[in-house]
Amino acid sequence: MSYTIPIGPYHPALEEPYKLELECEGERVRAAHLQIGFNFRAIELLAQSRNVIQNIALFERVCGICSNVHTLTYCLAVENLLGIEPPLRAQYIRVIVAELERLHSHILWAGAAAHILGFQTLFMTCFRLREIVMDLLESISGNRVNYAMNAVGGVNRDLTDPRTVQEGVHQIRRAVEEQLIPVFTTDPTVRARCAGVGVLTKEEALAWGAVGPTARASGVAQDLRQAQPYLIYDRLDFSVPVQESGDVLARIIVRALEMVESCLMIEQALDQLPSGEWRGQLFVELPPGEAVARIEAPRGEVFYYLASDGGEKPVRVKVRTPSFVNMPTVRLMLKDATLADAPLIQASIDPCYSCTDR
Amino acid sequence: MSSWFALLVFPGFLYALPMGWLMLWVERKTLARLQSRIGPPFYQPLFDFIKLMTKEPLPRPSQENRFYLFLPLLALGATLGALTLLPVLPHSFSLVGDLALFIALIEIAPICLVLLGFLSRSIFGQVGAVREAVLTIASNLPFIAALIALAYASGSLRLMDIALHAPPLARGLAVLAIFACLPIKLRLNPFSVANAEQEIYQGALTELDGWRLGLWELNHAVEWVALSGLTVSLALPWRSGLAVLDAAIFALLSLAVVFLLACLAGATARLKVGQASRFYWRWGFGFALLALAVSFFPFGG
Repeated sequence: MSYTIPIGPYHPALEEPYKLELECEGERVRAAHLQIGFNFRAIELLAQSRNVIQNIALFERVCGICSNVHTLTYCLAVENLLGIEPPLRAQYIRVIVAELERLHSHILWAGAAAHILGFQTLFMTCFRLREIVMDLLESISGNRVNYAMNAVGGVNRDLTDPRTVQEGVHQIRRAVEEQLIPVFTTDPTVRARCAGVGVLTKEEALAWGAVGPTARASGVAQDLRQAQPYLIYDRLDFSVPVQESGDVLARIIVRALEMVESCLMIEQALDQLPSGEWRGQLFVELPPGEAVARIEAPRGEVFYYLASDGGEKPVRVKVRTPSFVNMPTVRLMLKDATLADAPLIQASIDPCYSCTDR
Repeated sequence: MSSWFALLVFPGFLYALPMGWLMLWVERKTLARLQSRIGPPFYQPLFDFIKLMTKEPLPRPSQENRFYLFLPLLALGATLGALTLLPVLPHSFSLVGDLALFIALIEIAPICLVLLGFLSRSIFGQVGAVREAVLTIASNLPFIAALIALAYASGSLRLMDIALHAPPLARGLAVLAIFACLPIKLRLNPFSVANAEQEIYQGALTELDGWRLGLWELNHAVEWVALSGLTVSLALPWRSGLAVLDAAIFALLSLAVVFLLACLAGATARLKVGQASRFYWRWGFGFALLALAVSFFPFGG
């Protein structure tokens, strides 16, 4: 039986607008076609009609999960153009929020993966854990989704209660180490669904320019926090988890270990948190010129390009998101997979259509 | 006991309907508690049924409507018929060779589901139908082999004789094999492949709505009663002789089976169709083969 089955643009596996058309023979996928752009919002064009400060709020809305990453990279690009560096306390706060956001993103993804595997109990466990991270982010920023923490040259809010964050992070680390990692790595049904499925070799990952956990699960040891440290990452002691097998299980393990590393990083940053100034600038006058910034987002490298002619509005802002880079690799992973594996493989790169269709 | 009493009262219609809904609730409540959720109130499955039956369905060609009415009703009737044959009470209604009739009747619902999937002309329905067909074959091998082992061991094709006279070892192995088949027959995790929401929506049921889905859900509730009831009635080697007590024990143990199945469903991820088939060929059939071996070559016999 040969047929074409559409997954999306509306599908219960991943409630985001994309379309994956699978040409199948029986349960076997012979070819996959990916279609994006259902929710394009022209954010880069909108950025050209707003001033530098207004654009922070705009880029916060590129993505609902990694909203902080986008404002952070944008602010870093602006700071690079201005030639300024935020105060040390602000840099620590930025790292704490960024790592909490990574935790949030990875836990959310783990829950989505469990949902796609049909493992509802694990899904509920992940989402209960996610609540703790969201509560922590709310306690720091006052918001659960768009944190509005970043400003040019600093942050908008101080971190006033490090103890609560410390306790919450410790609780998350314990839960990840004692619950999530054992279930994801030892449960026979999860292993049966994930081991050896959707393999992306190291050569393919390099050739197709995969980034983030997708690349690291295929043996490409690249992480901007270590390769090109920004903010205060060079002051933290952490390792970059890498797996060689390149399958869905490897992507799960990489993200699970990254969660533990993020917790350890937050704990270190809270211990080292210096006192002092943290506020950013309220008014910015951009000099003419260009600047770029790139950071390691939960899904991989985020790149911002900023061009200014000296006016209050940028003449061009270009955003490159990790999902956009990783998505084409899904076609390689899907080749000769089974139909049942397709939603899981597709989700294993943690695609963000909000980032992609910005 | 008359066949009409068995069909309409116990363990048939009047018992099966509320019990089926109660079982659906126990399953949902157990899952919810496992997941630290509150779960629905006990009357929720009944309310779900009423809601589905009173919803205005999508208009469809009358030809299709006939099938959507006929197939779930056929499945419901057949499952109720199978339920009637369960050897619950010592003087239950029974026929010579009712084991064969039970197997025939209990298999009608999966066949109807496969037909519904293909008739829906939806690609999700058709893929679901194919999966259902593959898994039905995979699970029926150990299921029927276990029942044959029990029949041979007790020297009868009558369910009541099997329930009362099967030797313990063959009974234990066969009941284990039958229990292992329940998740696939009730479309539960880790074998909820034919209705894998994240892959093919509701599979064969994707196009069903309103009363069409309501009728099917009713059949599903009765399937729970019939299949858990079969396991319990074959596992119990004695009857007290007191109808009320026997019925109460039967009902309670059936609920315990539902609880165990819900726990299994809550603790596992969904397998793929190939993996599920392999499991039944390897493990389910393994138990059934052991039961057959023990029946044909009894120790000390």
